[in-house]
Amino acid sequence: MKTNRNRIGAFTLTEVMISSVIFSSVSLGLLMGFTSLERSFAATTDFATNHADEMRISDYLALDLRRAVSLQATQNDTTIFIPRYYDGNGFPQMPTLDGKGGVYYGTSGNSVRVRYYLSGSTIYREQVDWPLSISPAYKTIPVAENVKDFIFNITDLGKVVTTKITFNPTFRSAGASAAAIAATAFNNTTLLRNTRTDTSSSVY
Amino acid sequence: MKLNHDTHITGSILVWTVLTMVILSLFATEVLRAVSGRYQLGIQAAKWQESLVAAESGVDLAIVELRKSLYPAPNNAWQGWSDIPGNGVVSHGLTAVPTEGLAATPMNIEVNVDAPAQLKDPGNGWQYYRIRTLGSVPLTGPARAGFNKQDTRLRKLTLHTQRFIDNLFTSETSAPHAARRIEAVVKPLSSFNQAILAISTLDLNNQNIVVDSYDSRDSTKSTNGLYDVNKRQENGNIATDGSILDAGGAYVYGDVSTNSGTATGVQHVTGDQRTDFYQDPIPIGAPVWPSINPTPATITGTKTITASATQGSASSRYLLNAITLNSKSLTLAGAADGSKTYIEIHVTGDITVTGNGMITVAPGVNATIYFDRNVDIEGNGIVNTNNQPSNLLFYGVQPSSGATPYVKLAGNGTITAAVYAPGHDVLIKGGGTNGHVFGSVVGKTVTMNGVTNLHYDEALDSGGLINNYQIVGWFEDNR
Repeated sequence: MKTNRNRIGAFTLTEVMISSVIFSSVSLGLLMGFTSLERSFAATTDFATNHADEMRISDYLALDLRRAVSLQATQNDTTIFIPRYYDGNGFPQMPTLDGKGGVYYGTSGNSVRVRYYLSGSTIYREQVDWPLSISPAYKTIPVAENVKDFIFNITDLGKVVTTKITFNPTFRSAGASAAAIAATAFNNTTLLRNTRTDTSSSVY
Repeated sequence: MKLNHDTHITGSILVWTVLTMVILSLFATEVLRAVSGRYQLGIQAAKWQESLVAAESGVDLAIVELRKSLYPAPNNAWQGWSDIPGNGVVSHGLTAVPTEGLAATPMNIEVNVDAPAQLKDPGNGWQYYRIRTLGSVPLTGPARAGFNKQDTRLRKLTLHTQRFIDNLFTSETSAPHAARRIEAVVKPLSSFNQAILAISTLDLNNQNIVVDSYDSRDSTKSTNGLYDVNKRQENGNIATDGSILDAGGAYVYGDVSTNSGTATGVQHVTGDQRTDFYQDPIPIGAPVWPSINPTPATITGTKTITASATQGSASSRYLLNAITLNSKSLTLAGAADGSKTYIEIHVTGDITVTGNGMITVAPGVNATIYFDRNVDIEGNGIVNTNNQPSNLLFYGVQPSSGATPYVKLAGNGTITAAVYAPGHDVLIKGGGTNGHVFGSVVGKTVTMNGVTNLHYDEALDSGGLINNYQIVGWFEDNR
């Protein structure tokens, strides 16, 4: 019995080497697995965060496009004009007939200019009364941060406007392919409820 | 020894097991935290979108009631609402749709409609209405804000205390919910807001027909209030509420629209071609007048009846059994100086003009003719000396179910009138190769044959009977 115990407690060099190789292999596998999992988790989280950002940007744009009276769109820079619904104290104003079958709020010809643009790694929403006064009061808020790889495009179809937002997913260290970027597209189509002042198109 | 050895081994396994479970639990917790937060964001965003649907449904509900009010009485408009909206009178309606929201939550729609004096068109007296709605949907799940403050800034949700309080709406509570507010302004639409409108089939079955527009009020779009081809406008829209529209190769300076249908022969259409048209025309009821001019009761020979300077006066309202003019003339006379006068005629039988017969509308006369049955005007047709279609309006009283009377306008080369007969088949058969119709035509079916020109006077768009309401102002109040 004693002899047997001594044999169990000792390892030959071969045994130690083999076990070391096995241990190293398993450890390396685990390390790679965890690293891959961590990267995958980070990429998935990044994707989910970016998707939430896309949804928010789209909702912001749709909110203003629905009530737009005119717009100018270029990539990552869109300007939307909405009625000046609120007075100087922030309360709704009574609409007034414009004599042409429409209505306006406040002063005829005035509106509020809303601009969405990407600057650095942040997409901003800037709002100011239009036309600009001598001391215009800009109100700028970030809509989405850490989004320097985002592209938002507005396609003006007259009665409706489509928006498309994409970003670069980070699943591959070599960078996303064009197909992968295209697959991140968040599309929205918005019907402009108001009669436009910049085109002859009418909604109804 | 053996016992001790076994105890030692068991203890190691327990430690390793607990350690493994702790690590896995940490992973699971992190994943759950990430997933649940985004799930909550998704739910809240969906609820926020649903509340917009609810708010916009409120606008629809109000427009439905406004449209109901256009129908002949009894139309049951504003039943279930607090009042009939007016200046200083806000009609309030509250609708709860029990399980329409996500996860079978209720959808609350609260609507206020009023008619401020500022929104009354001084030109024609038409009242615009202001519709303010609140759509709200309860939030399910934990009442907590999302990960990102920008989401919170956009989607303003009530989580623990009522976020927005004013005296306009009463259905909001402090329970967790998403709510959105919309203000819409709707304007009345004329029954003559299209150049040609058919309820079912619209057929311009002749080549070289031209449909365009002008505006008799605007010197840049007309000359001395008359059509000028050099000032042609492109609002000669033609449409069908049905699915068949044959433009017949006509030169249409305007849009062509069907209700999910097919338009053919549209190679010369300058405007849009749309398939999303819907406009259920309001039927015309027989006019109800408290008193009328009792004579004549029937017109069969040459006759002059007189208009009045007072619109709606008994002396200017005639109830006739029929008008039959076989080489005879009917003159709708007005003031000697041509000043503005009014006449209304309700013909319960047929209107027939044949041979050299004709109907003449004298200068200054604004004639409105309601007819129950067939209208067949040929011969020398209708002479509207005012040259303005708004001075001669034909309204077809809705026929009884199953009957489809007709309107046939032919005769001399020019017809200056507007016809609204959504229960009648309308045939416009103009004079030879150079016929002109100035005005607008609405019929159950509309067929043009032999007419080469229809010029829509855009001034008709602000007159005649109100046929519908259109949103002209829309704003989401996202304070």
